[in-house]
Order: sequence, then C-alpha cells, then structure tokens
Amino acid sequence: MAQPDDAVPPQTAAAPAVSAGAGVAGVPVGNPYLAMILAWLVPGLGHIYVRRTARGLVFLLLIVVCLWVGCELQGNLYRPLPGQPLTFLATGGAMGMGLPYFVLRYGADYSGDIVGAGYEYGTAFLLTAGLMNWLLVLDAWDISRGKKE
Amino acid sequence: MSHFFLMVLYSLVVSLFFTLLWRRERKDQVRLFLQLFLGMVGGGLLVAWLMYPFPQGPPAPIP
Repeated sequence: MAQPDDAVPPQTAAAPAVSAGAGVAGVPVGNPYLAMILAWLVPGLGHIYVRRTARGLVFLLLIVVCLWVGCELQGNLYRPLPGQPLTFLATGGAMGMGLPYFVLRYGADYSGDIVGAGYEYGTAFLLTAGLMNWLLVLDAWDISRGKKE
Repeated sequence: MSHFFLMVLYSLVVSLFFTLLWRRERKDQVRLFLQLFLGMVGGGLLVAWLMYPFPQGPPAPIP
C-alpha cells in the first residue's frame, strides 16, 4: 500500500507542477515527515511548508483563537494524573497543539482555574485546539505524500 | 461572555475548521459550513429546549 509513495523521493518537492500552485492533486510536496513535525510544532506551519500558505494561516488563526479563548476562560490544560487514566488520553489530545502546549505548561506555568466560571468551556476550547491540530498533522502528511490536494 | 455566545463561537471555529479541511470548492464549502454551524447551534438550542421542563435542582454549593 505504501509502495507508490515510497518510490517517490522527497526532492520531488521541487517539481515544477508543485510550484505552479496549490491546486495540483496527487503531487508529492516536500518531506512528509518534516511536514508532520512542522504541523505538530506550530499549527498551520505544516500546510505552509507544503505550499498551502493561505489555508495554513487560516488554520493557525482558528487554533490561536481556540487557545486564546480557552486560556481567557481559565480552562484546564490537561496533564497526566496518577490513578486517572482518562487524563492520559486527554493530555495526548491537548498535546496535539504542539509548542503552545509546552509553552503554556512549562513556560507560563498555566494550569487553569477549576473554580472559574468558564472552566468547562475553556477546557473544551483548549482540548479542541489540540485535537484539531492532530487532524492538521494528518492532513499535512496526506498533502505532502500527494494523497490529497 | 454568555453561554450562548461561547456556543456560537465554538461552533463557528469548528465549522470553519472542518469546512477548510474537508472541502475545496467554494460552493461545497458554503454548504458544509452551514450544515455544521447550523447543526451545532440548532442542536444545542434543541437540547436546551428539551431540557427546559426539567427542574434545575438545588443550587450548586459555593466552593
């Protein structure tokens, strides 16, 4: 199942068809592994890397809005808690936002406010930001391999 | 920020996200966006309306 893509070297990114625009379907763009890593690190960066700049910027904006609203509402930024297996799952989801998760958790020492009025809503926004970025990682992977326009 | 505003904002963000992720043609994008956005907001209002007859119960204790 993977043989057609494995046969295509990463340097196909420099193909003229790709540089002509983002509307070419089935043309591999760049290195899929790098696209995934970039997409995970900074929301939207993976799409920018595979030359879907406008879409990547809109995705970045949407996720930043989600993060900002979530933090404003003092939502929970999930972290693993012993004896609570679901927090591991939720942490995996929230970590999908990439660098912002670690900046918030370790740089800003953000943890949310459980008695805040918007705690539940904020948690939903923060978790959604992470989950949406996981989907962007997969999307960047597909675009980079030429599986998707 | 009210509950309704937050619900609309959340629906807006998620609908836009999936519209851009799943559709490329403008006409398809508009259709999917409206389906998702109105489905989420309308669904939320419908559930709220269905729950309206139920009593609220005692007030939550102040932590």
